[in-house]
Amino acid sequence: MQKKLLAIVVIAIVAVAAVAVVWQLTQTPSPEARSIKIGLVACYDKAEGQDMDRAAKLAVQEINDAGGVWVKEWNTKVDIDLVIVDTEDDSTGKAVGPVTRAVLEDKVDLLIGGYTSSGTLADQVVAIDNRVPYIITGASSSLVTRRGPQGNYGGLPAGDPLRINDAEGMSYMFHYCTTTADYSKTVVKFFAETMKPLLDSTYEFGSSRNLRLAILYRDDAFGKGVLADSKAVIASENLPIDVVVERSYPATATNFQTDLTVVKDAHPDAVYVVDFIAGTAEIIKQGQRDVGLDTVYIAVECCEDPQFYTLLGEYGTGQLLESKFAPYAGPPFYLSTVDTYVTDYQAKYNTLPGMMGADTYDAFYIAKAAIEAAGTVDKAAVRDAIESISIDQMLIITETGKIEFSTGTNYHEIAPITFVEQLVWNEAAGECRAAIVYPNTAPGIDPLKQADFVLPAGYEPGS
Amino acid sequence: MSGLIETLLWGVANGCIYILLATGLNIIFGVMKLVNFAHGQLLMIGAYVAFVATTALGLNAYLSILVAMAAMAVIGVALERLTFRRVLGTDKLNEIFVSLGLIYVFENAAVLLWGNKWKQIPNPLQGEGLVIGETLLGYDRLVAILIVAAILIALFILLKKTKIGLAMRATSQRSETSMLMGVNIEKVYVFTFALGAALAGAAGALYGILLPFEPGIGALPTIKAFAIIMLGGLGSIPGAVVGGLLYGIAETLAVYFLGGIWQDAIAFALLIIVLVIKPTGLFGEKGE
Repeated sequence: MQKKLLAIVVIAIVAVAAVAVVWQLTQTPSPEARSIKIGLVACYDKAEGQDMDRAAKLAVQEINDAGGVWVKEWNTKVDIDLVIVDTEDDSTGKAVGPVTRAVLEDKVDLLIGGYTSSGTLADQVVAIDNRVPYIITGASSSLVTRRGPQGNYGGLPAGDPLRINDAEGMSYMFHYCTTTADYSKTVVKFFAETMKPLLDSTYEFGSSRNLRLAILYRDDAFGKGVLADSKAVIASENLPIDVVVERSYPATATNFQTDLTVVKDAHPDAVYVVDFIAGTAEIIKQGQRDVGLDTVYIAVECCEDPQFYTLLGEYGTGQLLESKFAPYAGPPFYLSTVDTYVTDYQAKYNTLPGMMGADTYDAFYIAKAAIEAAGTVDKAAVRDAIESISIDQMLIITETGKIEFSTGTNYHEIAPITFVEQLVWNEAAGECRAAIVYPNTAPGIDPLKQADFVLPAGYEPGS
Repeated sequence: MSGLIETLLWGVANGCIYILLATGLNIIFGVMKLVNFAHGQLLMIGAYVAFVATTALGLNAYLSILVAMAAMAVIGVALERLTFRRVLGTDKLNEIFVSLGLIYVFENAAVLLWGNKWKQIPNPLQGEGLVIGETLLGYDRLVAILIVAAILIALFILLKKTKIGLAMRATSQRSETSMLMGVNIEKVYVFTFALGAALAGAAGALYGILLPFEPGIGALPTIKAFAIIMLGGLGSIPGAVVGGLLYGIAETLAVYFLGGIWQDAIAFALLIIVLVIKPTGLFGEKGE
């Protein structure tokens, strides 16, 4: 009897030990485990790039502090290692080299970022050729994901050098950003639905009078894209808007007075300014200050940055900004995630965040979710995981409330919601603050609108 | 029509900045036979000096022009003594590469000191102007034109009525003969470079009053200044004045009628046309 009991005890001990050994073996991180290298493609010469950098560091710190990214294949959580990919001013000549270094020498697992459309269209070719997943958070041209067969070459004619025939390579590209079509639609619909009725009632214009719109744009892919998309939306939706003048200028211009004089001669009701931060702020200032063009100016979302508010000063009062992220329109903000992000960002950097950083911040969480879903850092598996991702929206509002990438001809894009803010002078802050004036609601956010649009003081309508 | 009048005024005001820059470049070339590709960077540094004088010292924007001129004259002396004097008279390539190197030195120093964000000198006349019908004639532009006129008159007096002016003119014609006649060539060179730099400083201050600037603004004005002195005639100050005005007006009219992207193309086309018809430039044969 005692022998039998002893045998049972020994067997039990051996069994427990065996289970412990097996469990221990399954819990041991793979010797291949390493940190995940994510390259941030940003133009550090510009405020937008610096904002992207700060946002990326905040996201990486949060993720790493919470234990890192679970990689099933390695049986452990690992940290994200941020690799700086500085494209300086993001010109085509300067963007490709750093991305090549990141892909071939640093051997990044994934790329996030991009700024100008032209710079990104040039540097993404390296990622396409080397099959590196690239979540593009800048570059408003839809070509960054549509220039291949899946996107029907973005409508580019046969033989166009921008076309990419490598469908497999293009499948690694993802566009987590609004396109020129997205925000052009918001802007012209705002003019048709909100500003025109206000002008009609204020100045007793007949309803048959169309709103007179001037478009002043950079002579590059971005500017031309916005111009074409805006006119296309006006035509396709038969909106009561006449584009009375369209003027382009070199991307290097700092003197806009002559162009603004031509715009003034056309007597517009509003001016749509298509440029980045410094150029847009200068146009709005020079228009009011030097040319006496007292009208409504609307800027595009890449201007949603502290530097824009600083540069504008009081000249921003009453002016408009199309955006998808509004760090100056609160607190309280329209989403709790925005509240948390703005608070954390301010605490860490002692400044308000910009819009470019918001996309970047979200993209790091998309990367984390994708790698965890894939269970590996194998690039093809991560690509598949990003393609099928479905997580709750974070800082950028989407049509479904989820972050999901499309698979049709609008290839690998999200469906963002954009809105229009009006700037109001804030004496205490010594610069403008913003309030969302259009649209009234967004999916899951009711109301989104924070104030009614009003015409700026001294506003003069077009003839 | 009102827009055209405003545009012409912009053209004249911009042309005045070009006149100062091109005149300084022309004087340096005329007297020292030195090609300074970093001349536009002197304009840029001048703009920053005036900006600091206005924002940090609280000086009036127009008084800051004098500060910029003085500071750039000092920098000019240092540049001439420390860099160009060492290579003057050696291979022309040495002068060119020294000036090309200085472009990067100045631009990087400006980024380091003042950052790369756009700045503008606050001035009391900003936004003020004479309104005639729909035409706004900005006082800042009108004042800029008057200031350039005053500087040019002072320069004319300096060159025609003073001993150093006479020495500069003599040196520009025959430096060796001047030396034999007792002219201290080294002093003339230092003074000439300081004067050219001071004119670039004044151009920079006016630029900063009228337009936003950042460390990279010097490159294009340098090329334009070279084009202007070729248009007006190498070594000719009246040529630089007429060339600067023509250039400023031509580029603003190009923007007005054809659009901003034509600004530089039309202005350089004007240069080509003039050089094809008269290779010595408008005033080349009567150069001083």
